[in-house]
Amino acid sequence: MNLMKIFKNGLLDENPIFVQLLGMCPTLAVTTSAINGVGMGLAATAVLVASNAAISMMRKIIPSKIRIPAFIVVIASFVTIVGMLMEGYLPSLFKALGLFIPLIVVNCIILARAEAFASKNTVIDSIFDGLGMGLGFTLALTVLGSVRELLGAGSLFGWQLPFAYKPALMMILPPGAFIALGILLALYNVVKSKKSLS
Amino acid sequence: MKEISKLGLILLLICAVAAGLLSLVYDFTIDKIVEQREMTSRLSRQEVLPEAESFEIIENDMLDKVKAENELVVEIYEGLSGDTLVGYTVKSLPGGFGGSVEVITGVSVDGTVTGMRVGSHQETPGLGANATLPDFYGQYVGKNTESELTVVKAGAAGNEIQSISGATITSKAVTKGVNMAVEAYKIVSGL
Amino acid sequence: MENASIFVILVSSILVNNFVMSKFLGICPFLGVSKQVETATGMGMAVTFVITLAGMITYLVQKYILVFFHIEYLQTVAFILVIAALVQFVEIVLQKLSPVLYQALGVYLPLITTNCAVLGLALLNIQYKLNFVQTIFHSFGAAVGFSLAIILFAGIRERLAISDVPAPFKGFPIALITAGLMSMAFLGFAGLV
Repeated sequence: MNLMKIFKNGLLDENPIFVQLLGMCPTLAVTTSAINGVGMGLAATAVLVASNAAISMMRKIIPSKIRIPAFIVVIASFVTIVGMLMEGYLPSLFKALGLFIPLIVVNCIILARAEAFASKNTVIDSIFDGLGMGLGFTLALTVLGSVRELLGAGSLFGWQLPFAYKPALMMILPPGAFIALGILLALYNVVKSKKSLS
Repeated sequence: MKEISKLGLILLLICAVAAGLLSLVYDFTIDKIVEQREMTSRLSRQEVLPEAESFEIIENDMLDKVKAENELVVEIYEGLSGDTLVGYTVKSLPGGFGGSVEVITGVSVDGTVTGMRVGSHQETPGLGANATLPDFYGQYVGKNTESELTVVKAGAAGNEIQSISGATITSKAVTKGVNMAVEAYKIVSGL
Repeated sequence: MENASIFVILVSSILVNNFVMSKFLGICPFLGVSKQVETATGMGMAVTFVITLAGMITYLVQKYILVFFHIEYLQTVAFILVIAALVQFVEIVLQKLSPVLYQALGVYLPLITTNCAVLGLALLNIQYKLNFVQTIFHSFGAAVGFSLAIILFAGIRERLAISDVPAPFKGFPIALITAGLMSMAFLGFAGLV
């Protein structure tokens, strides 16, 4: 399979958030600001690429009956490694993401890709699938984070907007997450239906 | 039976490799992680007691004495300038809105609060989380330790702290943390 | 939290810090299994059982294995393995004891493993420094809160399914907006404890 096609698939056609609706928990929880969205997205991408690669490498030696626990051990190990590296070298991001770093383990995207792709494809293909899906995830998180930060805190990536307006605090609180994502999904549906009509 | 033991063995092998890899990365990163944690603590101590040049942790039996009165006081450091004691930094953990709030307070030897910082917390962003901003923590500088600090909604004077609008619980929790620190200071300095 | 009474822990985990509405844990099953009140109730019960047990077992694993051997960095791996094993065990037990419920839950049962609420709760019990009794009640409360949210939501979605929803909003978008309104309602519990 063409590598760029695999990559684009993860990024747009089968975007994990907007299309597959996987990985909702971190999507809603950490997108209180654009930079947090980016940080979580990249951390998850790192784990996804690493675990896809590792699982693809071992796909011929993992017996099918125990594949789920085996995948879980691999994913959990990479999450722990990424977590340790973050705590040591990116402490403020580590603090911002908090509980949701170990929760990358149960991010359904990673297990879904391991099961649906990495266990059945070559290492290079799996790496590109991981990159595509991971960056698709990051893209969605960044968009959602930016919307919430702009509306809820009047800033973007920490940069306070020059014109003053009282931000809608609710946007960076839980209700805002649900509503913002709901509207973004609806917008995505509108764009998609317009594209399929033309 | 043979198949199950074979499966179990392979799983065990994968786990063992994973655990081995993790302990390697752990050894590689632990020093940096400990350094990060220490650096954050040291920075907060410096910020709440600017006069001090170095910090030394107080003796265990002194800390135990304080903890016997209030177990939410978890750490006390002496602040020194050269060899002279200039004050203390106290870390307390009052319960806030979303969980424990880490409050680091500096008290100088002449009985004045020299600073306060909020460390890790789970307060609401945009509301209680604003306790980490200078507008709020700056209020504590210069408060005396003769009487307890109280929280008011408006027009704070003397030993009163103006609460963050919409975050009374957090404001009260942080102030309680500072009061705990002052109590601890009194015990430690033998007042 | 560690000095809170059992009552405060329960009210906090069920209402004030509801796992779904405030903490964003368990969103996938919340969105996925809430089309009908019946399946939501079944899922809620299964999750309550698994979470309460998982909370207790992971607490013991943390205290007597991870801390004892100074291997706390293996927490994530150890916890998720415990949870996966527990779900597998529950599946087997359920198959024997109540085949009807087992059939009804179908594919959702193994999915409890990836329900971030379970792992999230296990990690929070440790983070909040709760003792064993508090852990039991915190776990139970969190699960009840999850069940409450999912059943309420299912009730609303059953009505939504027969309402006139604009095309782009059909399905998940309107469900999310509804969840947002519910979450706003739950915010009202803030400051209760």
